[in-house]
Amino acid sequence: MVRLITHNLLACHVKGCTSNNFPLEFKDAKLELREAEYNSEFIRGFLPKIEWKALVDTARQLGDTSLPLEQPEMLDDEFLKNLHHVLLEIHIEEGSMICPNCKHDYPISNGIPNMLLAEHEIG
Amino acid sequence: MAPRTLEIATIDEDAEIYEDKTVHAVYDAIASHFSSTRYKPWPVIAAFLSALPTGWIGLDSGTGNGKYLPLPLDRPGDIWTIGLDRSRNLLAIARTAGGGELIREVVWGNVLDDGWRTGVFDYAISVATIHHLATQQRRMIAVQVRENEFCATLRLLQAVSPDHGRILIYVWAIEQDELSKRKVLGEQEVLVTTGKDVMVPWVLTIPATPGTGLSPGESENRPVYNRYYHMFAKGELAGLVVDAAAGLGLQVSVKPDKTEQPLRGVEILQDGWERSNYYVELRRWTIL
Repeated sequence: MVRLITHNLLACHVKGCTSNNFPLEFKDAKLELREAEYNSEFIRGFLPKIEWKALVDTARQLGDTSLPLEQPEMLDDEFLKNLHHVLLEIHIEEGSMICPNCKHDYPISNGIPNMLLAEHEIG
Repeated sequence: MAPRTLEIATIDEDAEIYEDKTVHAVYDAIASHFSSTRYKPWPVIAAFLSALPTGWIGLDSGTGNGKYLPLPLDRPGDIWTIGLDRSRNLLAIARTAGGGELIREVVWGNVLDDGWRTGVFDYAISVATIHHLATQQRRMIAVQVRENEFCATLRLLQAVSPDHGRILIYVWAIEQDELSKRKVLGEQEVLVTTGKDVMVPWVLTIPATPGTGLSPGESENRPVYNRYYHMFAKGELAGLVVDAAAGLGLQVSVKPDKTEQPLRGVEILQDGWERSNYYVELRRWTIL
């Protein structure tokens, strides 16, 4: 499954590709929305680990503009619920993720991203 | 039932090719049968996951059928574990681990690779995975370490937060308990320190196809798949951790109260044996 919670953690790992290798860019993404149980304590705890700009940019590319460009200081319920939706309810079922640096294409099929590399690409 | 005997494995070819044949292809073939027998979590791992604070995110490196992804069951959604595995067919099962409508996060990848932001996870578990990593005999002698096991351990240490990252590694032990009834062919009663490479058979029970008149146990087609395992000797897993920590410049000790200069390290919190398996629990620390 690729949801943005996972996407925000993944980085390109092709041999020698060590800078500008995050975030991977979605291409031909086919989305599905599935409701997930809201847990505000989890969202609060996960927040400091998020690369914020990567998350907001990617969400906007996928058509969700609910998140502000800057992380707010006050974490109200509306913000946390929007963040919950972006992280956990948008599923990328098909398509691929492209490295902004080396352009490696990581395909996604049946909701599962393929992060395997060919032998000559492994560092 | 007499103890089953296991054949010694010899890795006389490239480790990746060997692993493809004796691990990856096998798990893809036996995925659904294997998964139907693997539903009970090991107590040590369940306890580890239960103790983690709300809001933590983790990696299950070698998730198999994903049986640890829904844990802890008494507070679902408090932590989030992402499953990584080399077998696409097991991942298809892991995706809905725990049943119901819930979808788990799973990624198809190799535990030797490094496809994550460094240090981004709060915790990582590696359960019954590192013992499947082969190192060619010739190379093992040349480099003096089991290099793929070393690499996988290093990846776990890199994946978690340098400040508070927690790790649990669980592997098969040479010291087997009564219940699992396995013994290695030609084994002698001596103290072993290096572990053993063995082949463990999996007899695939093909479900009866409707209309064929075959019922379970009478099936004429029961293929046997041999899986490669390294059975760990006492102390071997902790040794692997010490080697991998050294590879990253980490001190292996309790976090000191203060130091002259900035220091990074890892503490071994537990080094134990449970029901035919060895495990270690680790915690990373940093002094700035």
